Amino acid sequence: MTDAGTAAPKEDGWAWLDRQFPALSLAVRNLSRQRLRAGLATLGIVIGVFAVVALGMLGTALQGAALEELGGLGNQVIISPAGGGESLSDRDLQAIQRAAAGHGEVVPLKSGGATASGPGGQTFTQLYGTTRPQSLFGDPSAPAYHRQGAVVGADAAQSLGVRVGSTIDVEENQYRVVAIIEGSGSFSPIRPDSAVVLPPREFVADGYSQAVVQADSGDDARQVAAGVRERLNGRQQRVSVLSLTSVLSRITEFFALLNGFLLAVAGVSLIVAGVSIFNIMLMTVSERRGEIGVLRAVGIHREQVLRTLLAEATLLGVAGGAIGSVLGAAVVIGVALTTRLPLSAVFVPTNALVALGAFGFGILVALVGGLYPAYRAAWEPPVESLRG
Amino acid sequence: MSGTEGPTGPENAGGKMNESPPPLQLSNVTKRYEGGGGTVTALKDVSFAVTRGDVTAIVGPSGSGKSTMLNMLGLLDDPTTGGIELSGEPVAGLSEHERTDIRRERIGFVFQDFHLIPTLSAARNVRLPTTFLERDYTDRAIDLLRRVGLGDRLEHTPDELSGGQKQRVAIARSLINEPDVLLADEPTGNLDRDTGVSVLEEIRTIADGGVGVVAVTHDELVTEFADRTVELTDGVLRD
Repeated sequence: MTDAGTAAPKEDGWAWLDRQFPALSLAVRNLSRQRLRAGLATLGIVIGVFAVVALGMLGTALQGAALEELGGLGNQVIISPAGGGESLSDRDLQAIQRAAAGHGEVVPLKSGGATASGPGGQTFTQLYGTTRPQSLFGDPSAPAYHRQGAVVGADAAQSLGVRVGSTIDVEENQYRVVAIIEGSGSFSPIRPDSAVVLPPREFVADGYSQAVVQADSGDDARQVAAGVRERLNGRQQRVSVLSLTSVLSRITEFFALLNGFLLAVAGVSLIVAGVSIFNIMLMTVSERRGEIGVLRAVGIHREQVLRTLLAEATLLGVAGGAIGSVLGAAVVIGVALTTRLPLSAVFVPTNALVALGAFGFGILVALVGGLYPAYRAAWEPPVESLRG
Repeated sequence: MSGTEGPTGPENAGGKMNESPPPLQLSNVTKRYEGGGGTVTALKDVSFAVTRGDVTAIVGPSGSGKSTMLNMLGLLDDPTTGGIELSGEPVAGLSEHERTDIRRERIGFVFQDFHLIPTLSAARNVRLPTTFLERDYTDRAIDLLRRVGLGDRLEHTPDELSGGQKQRVAIARSLINEPDVLLADEPTGNLDRDTGVSVLEEIRTIADGGVGVVAVTHDELVTEFADRTVELTDGVLRD
């Protein structure tokens, strides 16, 4: 009888899976029985996870990109004389210096408006008087120290038709253009684009009309603003302090709310997918009732039957979650490649968390969807299930 | 019985006693079902012992309680009154988990419509009961399939097998655990006469190997092969 010629079943992937993870192996075979049905159940999870990943990652990316644009705004504190005063006194400036010490740099600023003309035409420009354009605009391409001539913003330079070395006319005075600065793209009330920056002594007025503090961080900006208010506005409203930190945190809050809302909508589609898994598992176990009865009769424990059935549901979730996550991430990357959304805003740790979280949630939804049908089938007395 | 006193005495597998208790026994078992139309009594005071090495046929008309009795013997159902003993040990009070273990270790089942898993090969179906065990029963499964004449069908799935072949796979499955008792529900029910004969010959061989076989049947053929035939009518057992 022990005929060596009859080949024993070869040790292949199945045999290995069977030995290591019998429940998983049975589950895979069971799923392969109803491929279309398994495919449709998986599709539900794919769509749900895709929606969560796409909307979640896009939301994070948009938030990141917007904050990058607005970032400078939050670090800026602008102090001007209160109640229509003409200028800040030296005492005010000293107080501001003290309040800002250790938190950022104070740039006293004169400002005004004037018509400037150049070889290419004339235009109304914003005039700034400062010796430190670089600190003022937070733009490393601007000159660090400005003593003579004019620094012209890119937009103004274009309207006036000037290059570095050209001469422009401002209020009857002629200035040589020493630098042209591109707008940094950062969002701030003080923008270089259509401005002409002159040394402060070119201005008629003596006092500085504003002081701009470029703080090191949003927190520093908050402290500087509070310090200035405390020192100068204690008894009397001497200066008005504009800090956009709170505006920025409102914007952040808004984005968080929007993201939460989008994720909730996407989450609903994932819940629907869970219901379809529930439905399909219910169908599956009712079709295989007799089979499950046999398993129980020949000595497979209830928990083992449950494990096998849950493995089926979980596999649907794993497949759907993986496909959905990859598709969702691909679409968001595609959006970033074809629009102005920078890729760097997509590739942030939060987005990895979104993709992983959605994947996990997809699995969880499938598992929960399969729980009741599996429990009902595994706990049915075998006498009942065998009766068919 | 006196030899196996002690509540947690070890199985008497080692000690070959002259009067070892029957592997499976029903004592005064009554089973009542509460149904919509009142109470139905499926078994009335049935006492029955499985004998090692014997084939016992239980015959009777439909609804006479045959299946209920087989379910009792297979620890798949509880009696309303009376007791079931396994090698002299009462089964009452065992948890579902323990009963499942006993079914896997000591009882073999053969069903009328084979109940093979369609996605699994013959060899894999045979070792289905041992799926979650540490030990690998593949060699034994192959050995059993060769014994029932299916050595060349090891990797065939059930839909590639004939009815008689499927039933022989089912028989091989019932033997994977070397059971004391083989319970067969209409083992020839879906087979033609010649195939039925070959399946019964297989069962005969198994009984000769020391297994107590109980077959519930309508089939005259089974009674011809049986050492003993008992008749169940309206829940009452008669020799």
